[in-house]
Amino acid sequence: MKMLRKIHRMFKLHRIFIKQDLKKLMEYKIDFLTGAIGMLLTQAINIFFLSVIFARIPNLEGYSFEQIIFIYGFALLPKSIDHLFFDNLWAIGHFIIRKGDFDKYLTRPVSTLFAVTVEKFQVDAFGELVVGIMLLGYSVPKIAVSINFVNVILFVVAIFFATFIYTGVKLITSAIAFWTKRSGNITYMFYMINDFAKYPTTIYNRVVRTVITYIVPFAFTAFFPASYFITGGNVWYNIGGTVVMAVVLMAVGIFVWNKGVSAYESAGS
Amino acid sequence: MIYVENLKKEFKKTIKDPGLKGSIKSFFKPQNEIITAVKDISFHVPKGEILGFIGPNGAGKSTVIKMLTGILTPTSGRCEINGKIPYKNRKNYVKEIGVVFGQRTQLWWDLALRETYTVLKEIYEVDDESFKTRMAFLNEVLELEDFITNPVRTLSLGQRMRADIAASLLHSPKVLFLDEPTIGLDVVVKDNIRKAIKAINAEKNTTVILTTHDLKDVENLCDRIVMIDKGSKVFDGDISDLKSRFGESRELNFVPENIDIIKTLDYKNEFKLSDDDFELSDNGVEVNVRFNSNKVSVEKMLNYTLSKTHVKDINVTDADIEEIIKGIYRSEVNLDA
Repeated sequence: MKMLRKIHRMFKLHRIFIKQDLKKLMEYKIDFLTGAIGMLLTQAINIFFLSVIFARIPNLEGYSFEQIIFIYGFALLPKSIDHLFFDNLWAIGHFIIRKGDFDKYLTRPVSTLFAVTVEKFQVDAFGELVVGIMLLGYSVPKIAVSINFVNVILFVVAIFFATFIYTGVKLITSAIAFWTKRSGNITYMFYMINDFAKYPTTIYNRVVRTVITYIVPFAFTAFFPASYFITGGNVWYNIGGTVVMAVVLMAVGIFVWNKGVSAYESAGS
Repeated sequence: MIYVENLKKEFKKTIKDPGLKGSIKSFFKPQNEIITAVKDISFHVPKGEILGFIGPNGAGKSTVIKMLTGILTPTSGRCEINGKIPYKNRKNYVKEIGVVFGQRTQLWWDLALRETYTVLKEIYEVDDESFKTRMAFLNEVLELEDFITNPVRTLSLGQRMRADIAASLLHSPKVLFLDEPTIGLDVVVKDNIRKAIKAINAEKNTTVILTTHDLKDVENLCDRIVMIDKGSKVFDGDISDLKSRFGESRELNFVPENIDIIKTLDYKNEFKLSDDDFELSDNGVEVNVRFNSNKVSVEKMLNYTLSKTHVKDINVTDADIEEIIKGIYRSEVNLDA
């Protein structure tokens, strides 16, 4: 009962800020449109290059163009959902801690992590989300993905946990700022590794493959879960791995975050 | 209510040689230095008191406030407020306190002020009924009505400060911490804020701890002051204490019929006063004599002055608290006296 009330309260707060950020979107139309167009262009160019490559080769390491598009589209979903809800973690590493603005979260009777993330709903991420859905819509009918109840559930589970792989990586790296005052670039460095996750890991050499599978496990945000849906094989590794990686990263992230909060030194005022 | 015992806070600071070279060197071979911001502070505040926490810039006021509000973890010592230890079980503790930092807002930049209070209502789990009566009260003492629909980023500093104070009080905290609540405000707004703080304190017997550089705040509001300097407490008592302990200095002001008379006034030799105990100045019309009333009584000063000259006007004033504090900050006043 108490738990339910807590969740209800969380949603209520989310709603207020989401409404606010949508309102802001109307206020700063040009800014939003420019951002959205830029993002669309980036994705369009990436897809264009993929199609150019595939015009010359029949398949890539055994993957057809449509299968690659499926993996690519799948990768965009957790990335954009994380982007939508947990974007404010970037600000932690860039300036919130350095400027001492973290003080205000500590004077509120809610978890600092919730207070930080709830106050920003990153509408820009809608672009990626829409592109991701479009790419899945295009590729799913062309590849042999069986759409059934179990697969739909597994799809939702995979996207949900894959999102927290992104969030976990951001959480751990931005919490470093509690000690170093600034860690935005560390977050950036690790976060950008996600670019590798949009393609089959089998196309990379052993070093890259090991890094994106076990160290910064972005392969579990796209290639592994997506290949379950493509091949129907090894659900425990492909989907289970995603769940395990997400849980581990979030657990480490929350641990580091909490340690960081007690090491927080504020800033002079 | 509030117990602070031997509170201490140290910060680690990296020492760097100047320039890029220094930065690179410190990156590979960091050298740390321990800075003690708060040395050893103890005090106790009973419920319902307004305590002024004063001291020069960099004395450690904000650091103490941040430890009391659970933002910083003390290096050693302890503080207990309402029977709770701030940095342990933080979430539970902060429900009972309100915090305002005058230097930076705690509100959300883009939210309309009204929305801000809705968010805080949810965060602090204030029920609808108390929220309504609370808002009505805060509206009355802080006059939020004029700008409650505006986004926070458009508020003037005075409005923002009122909004911030209201935000800190929505959940009827038992203790209110105000870190420089009147900084940068004009005289009228300052006055309104002081009245509001008084009203808030009177309403629910809320304990208030405030830091300030404006001594009018202290004189108007505070039952007691704790003064700190370089991380240590240098005074703890009420304002009359401060005056009687350090305030032996008096000012005699008079307007003589003929200003040239001052040449014949020789207080120094008459009463054998040293430079520390005596100072004379004039602005061409009025003469101002500052003297130590322990060394020479007010009566003697007046008698001597009136025996030498006719005056159009004369008065003796108490030591200005500002003067006393300035003296303490500059360590002119002997604190062991």
